[in-house]
Amino acid sequence: MIASTLLAAETTADVAFGTLPSLILVPLLTAAVIMLLPASRADYVKLAALIGSVITGAISIYVLWHFDVADPGFQFTAQREWISSLGLSWFLGIDGISLFLVVLTGILFPIAILTTEPHHDPKPYHVWIMLLMAGSMGAFLALDLLLFFLFFEVVLVPMYFLIGGWGHGNRVYAAMKFFLYTMAASALMLVGIVSLVFLAAGDTGGATFNVIELAENHQLSTLASTLVFLSFALAFAVKVPVFPVHTWLPDAHTEAPTAGSVILAGVMLKLGTYGMLRFGVYLFPEVVFDLGWIFMTLGVIGIVYGAAVATMQKDLKRLVAYSSVAHMGFIVLGIFALNSQGMTGAVVQMVNHGITTGALFILVGWIYERRHTREIAALGGLQKSAPLMAGVFTLVMLSSVGLPGLNGFVGEFLILLGTFSAARWWAVVAVSGVILAALYMLWAYQRTFHGPAVGENATMEDMRLSELFGILPLLVLIVFLGVYPKPMLDRIEPSVDALIEHVEERVTDFYEPEPNEVERVGVTGLIEAAEHGESGGEGEEDH
Amino acid sequence: MEVTATWYLILSALLFTMGLVGLLVRRNPLIMFMCVELMLNAVNISFVAFSGALNDVAGRTAVFFVLVVAAAEVVVGLSLVVALMRRRPTLTADDLTALRG
Amino acid sequence: MGLFAQTVVDAIDTPEVEWKMMAPLLVLAVGAIVLITITSVVPRTRRGGFPAAFTITTAAVAGWFLKVVWSGLGDHAETYGIWRRQWIVADALMIDGFTIFVWGVILLSVFLCGGLLDSYLRREGFDGPEWYTLMMISAVGGMLLAAAHDLILIFLAVEILSIAVYVLAGLHLRRSDSQEAAFKYFILGALASAFLLYGIALVYGATGTTHLVDIFMYRSTNAAGLSPLTNSSMMLAGMAMIMIGFAFKISAVPFHVWTPDVYQGAPTPITAFMASAVKAAAFAGLFRIMWEGFTYYVDDWRPVLSALAIASLVVGSFLALAQTNVKRMLAYSSIVHAGFILIAVYAVPGVTGIGGDDPSRLGIEAFLFYLLAYTLMTIGTFGVLTAAGGVDDANHELADYRGLSKSQPVLAGLMAVLLFAQAGIPFTAGFVAKFRVIAAAAANEAYILGAVAMLAAVVSAVLYLRIVVTMFLVGDELVAHAVTDTDDDAATDGVADETASNDHLGEASTPFGQVYTPKPLLLAVMLAAFGTIVLGVFPQLVEPILTDAADSLSTLRQR
Repeated sequence: MIASTLLAAETTADVAFGTLPSLILVPLLTAAVIMLLPASRADYVKLAALIGSVITGAISIYVLWHFDVADPGFQFTAQREWISSLGLSWFLGIDGISLFLVVLTGILFPIAILTTEPHHDPKPYHVWIMLLMAGSMGAFLALDLLLFFLFFEVVLVPMYFLIGGWGHGNRVYAAMKFFLYTMAASALMLVGIVSLVFLAAGDTGGATFNVIELAENHQLSTLASTLVFLSFALAFAVKVPVFPVHTWLPDAHTEAPTAGSVILAGVMLKLGTYGMLRFGVYLFPEVVFDLGWIFMTLGVIGIVYGAAVATMQKDLKRLVAYSSVAHMGFIVLGIFALNSQGMTGAVVQMVNHGITTGALFILVGWIYERRHTREIAALGGLQKSAPLMAGVFTLVMLSSVGLPGLNGFVGEFLILLGTFSAARWWAVVAVSGVILAALYMLWAYQRTFHGPAVGENATMEDMRLSELFGILPLLVLIVFLGVYPKPMLDRIEPSVDALIEHVEERVTDFYEPEPNEVERVGVTGLIEAAEHGESGGEGEEDH
Repeated sequence: MEVTATWYLILSALLFTMGLVGLLVRRNPLIMFMCVELMLNAVNISFVAFSGALNDVAGRTAVFFVLVVAAAEVVVGLSLVVALMRRRPTLTADDLTALRG
Repeated sequence: MGLFAQTVVDAIDTPEVEWKMMAPLLVLAVGAIVLITITSVVPRTRRGGFPAAFTITTAAVAGWFLKVVWSGLGDHAETYGIWRRQWIVADALMIDGFTIFVWGVILLSVFLCGGLLDSYLRREGFDGPEWYTLMMISAVGGMLLAAAHDLILIFLAVEILSIAVYVLAGLHLRRSDSQEAAFKYFILGALASAFLLYGIALVYGATGTTHLVDIFMYRSTNAAGLSPLTNSSMMLAGMAMIMIGFAFKISAVPFHVWTPDVYQGAPTPITAFMASAVKAAAFAGLFRIMWEGFTYYVDDWRPVLSALAIASLVVGSFLALAQTNVKRMLAYSSIVHAGFILIAVYAVPGVTGIGGDDPSRLGIEAFLFYLLAYTLMTIGTFGVLTAAGGVDDANHELADYRGLSKSQPVLAGLMAVLLFAQAGIPFTAGFVAKFRVIAAAAANEAYILGAVAMLAAVVSAVLYLRIVVTMFLVGDELVAHAVTDTDDDAATDGVADETASNDHLGEASTPFGQVYTPKPLLLAVMLAAFGTIVLGVFPQLVEPILTDAADSLSTLRQR
């Protein structure tokens, strides 16, 4: 079924080079405009960046609005020849899996620009941010394997300069580590890509980097596809990051400027999980079916390890960074559960993690700006001097913990549900991660905001109204997506189901492990049932 | 005993090797330079020998080109040696150590 | 006796010379002679901008003729089909897409290096026409090499190419480093020529011919027992010696030892010329010989090439990490690039097509594209070094580049673009070049080679990042400190903070206060950086000529 819909999308691919390319071109043009502005006028520069990113965000909302819920295939496709002799083209498209990541990118960037202020050289800073936005958009939209790789790689440069130029403390080291780790991991991916393309050239009728054609037609041997998949998986695993290769993340996150952390956690980590879904599962279902347990195991280790290490952190930002490792572990778990709930949950969790962790980083950034420290021990009692911030922090933190009724719950619940039907014991271990998350988050909250306020903590400035206004969209989303996730799930599910059907087609002895209950109620109904059942039990007890 | 082309080829190979070894072993720039000339002219012997054996004129013409090239190299090489020697009259190749990483 | 008479008759019957097809080459050669003549007759033209302007114009005119040659390249019917290629001067030169492309690369190099040299020579007080004349003559040698199909002519071309550069490397009279570099270059270059020549002699002895097509055909005639000197071991020995000779020229490991010393010691614009035009021409020569002469011996020379490639990639990228001198770093990085180009040469043969994509075509296209991209990147980078190095090339230590982004933002920005391009970041020519090479390797099922190349690229990325960090991040560390940490622990960083509080890393505290970036140099570097990005985003711009080259080279030829 997916084949026919995808091929249908193929035939309409020659329509105007319109909506989706503008998502890449608008930030690019904005960067060019900023370069022409005088460096002395920081306000113009920021305004230009804000306008550019808001326009991009608006276009992404437009795409969301006009997205055809019933169509699981790629929509808004746009294709243009590039290096035809090598079968390369600018091929963009969007489906339920990438839709919300694009929207997330469109929302997070303006907020990151609005809520944070570079401490020097605003002009190059905003140029890098806009280039980063163009690159991230491109990576989520690309349906040409090489084009994806291009964007996947090119985002390293702006991020490298953002961390290295505007970061804190050991920033040059962190930037180098980030850049080299990611580049080293993706080096072999390029070899994997071209190997795949040329090995499959006979099956696809000439070398092509078109993901759809490759996925539908390639007939690689088990060994070849395993090797190519591993070359992809390494690149994605480092980007996510999956447990043993995560060590760049705490450094990069901690030293990065606030906007950098927000984008890194909110958007760039998703490139890894999105890649696993789109280019791992879609292209190599057999291998994923065979080796999925490895990634599930690593995901579970990541969940527990990230949570355990986060508990021990003394630095608030580092704590949030390690909580990212744990949350990304959930996403990996959901993807490799290979069923509708798991994957839908993974996509939902990608978006939610972006919103929640983005908001957390913004809040930590504000605290740092006011107090010049992120040491949890040096903070305390902020609730008294900054009650508004404490309230906002509570909400975001609870979303991160996965409280029912807030967005974090939906994804985690679906992932656990999917994992439970695919691999019971993994789910059991992963649940402990949820408990640990509650532990480290609440504990950190308690140490930071409760207790007696000493010294500067007592006089810390509360959130300004403009700041509240900046972060408000994220808060609204946290509540909205928690209470009413149906519109989101409705758009994600068809694409995920189509992907799973594709896996079922390609893998002979694979069937989607589904609990009977889900078949009857559907994912949305299940969520609603779960929320009604559980939300009464916990409640907000910490105030 | 008849002297065949092989004899000349062996002579050529010997001279070439002598030149090569000299170039690698000797440290006097002038001697190194002479070794290079020796190598080029050793090849000339090969060319002539082959030319005779193949009954083909191309090898012999090649020798003239090589001679011209060797002359050009002499000009450049000697002037470089002179330029170096002018700075330090007792120069050997071991003294050229300013560039080292 | 009869032989002699025959020769005389042949000698009188001179071959027809297709002047038009040789126009770019002749323009450059004549230009070199005219330049030195004019400046001798009218001495006041020696100084000032005239020699540079003349050189750049000559290169541009030759470039224009390139277009004429290309469009004049009609379809020529041959036994094996109709191809856009033409033998000229008694089959000694072949004009085809490959030749034209490499000529273009060499002319581009002369064009850009002319700009660099002008600024450099004026700063150093050495301005005069000799530099330009020698550079143009060397370029003529390189252009001959790209077209030559006779081993003797190849040898002559290599010598014309090299001898002029030996002199150029030593022309900076104040620096003994320059002469030292020239001497080392000369001795090792001469050694390489001797090897090359001996190889030619042996191949001549084994086949009785020096023409590449005849050497290629020899194997099939040999099978019928027609040749008087059937000796394939002599042939192989000759081939090995030719490869050694060229390995020196392209500085492939283990024949690279001269490269860092010479690149460091030579005047920087000359280093740029050596790294771009000389190397491109040498690669073109190697490519022609291997692919058109020794096609039947693929199984013998391919392992050697892959060994050279792997050694260059690994050794080059790791030794680069140990360097502290930026010129030496870039010398090692050029060794890594040589490894990449060798993979393209490796990937050329193997004429079995997969799914309509003949892998040998991919190799040819990758090879040529890499030459172009590498030329742009390397001239741009060394152009920045020319400016940043200061008088007498004195400031090439990594520490000297500290804070370049503050004192020379444009220069540092261009350098960053060029370095990231060399590292192979997408949307630069460097990436497309690397991608094409990897694709060609994969199409030839040389996966290991591709993987090694990519890993080496990552290791050498460390080197480029080190330079970028030094230029951009180390300097403004102090500024960042001054802005953010005004209230607390300003004294912890001691000296660093002291300078920061005095002046925000002002011009005076770096050696770049007086960096001299004249217009011609800046324009050349800008052009290179711009070209790098344009080729990265629109690589299809050079597609037609690449197609022509691949057409011509991936098919059999006859004289």
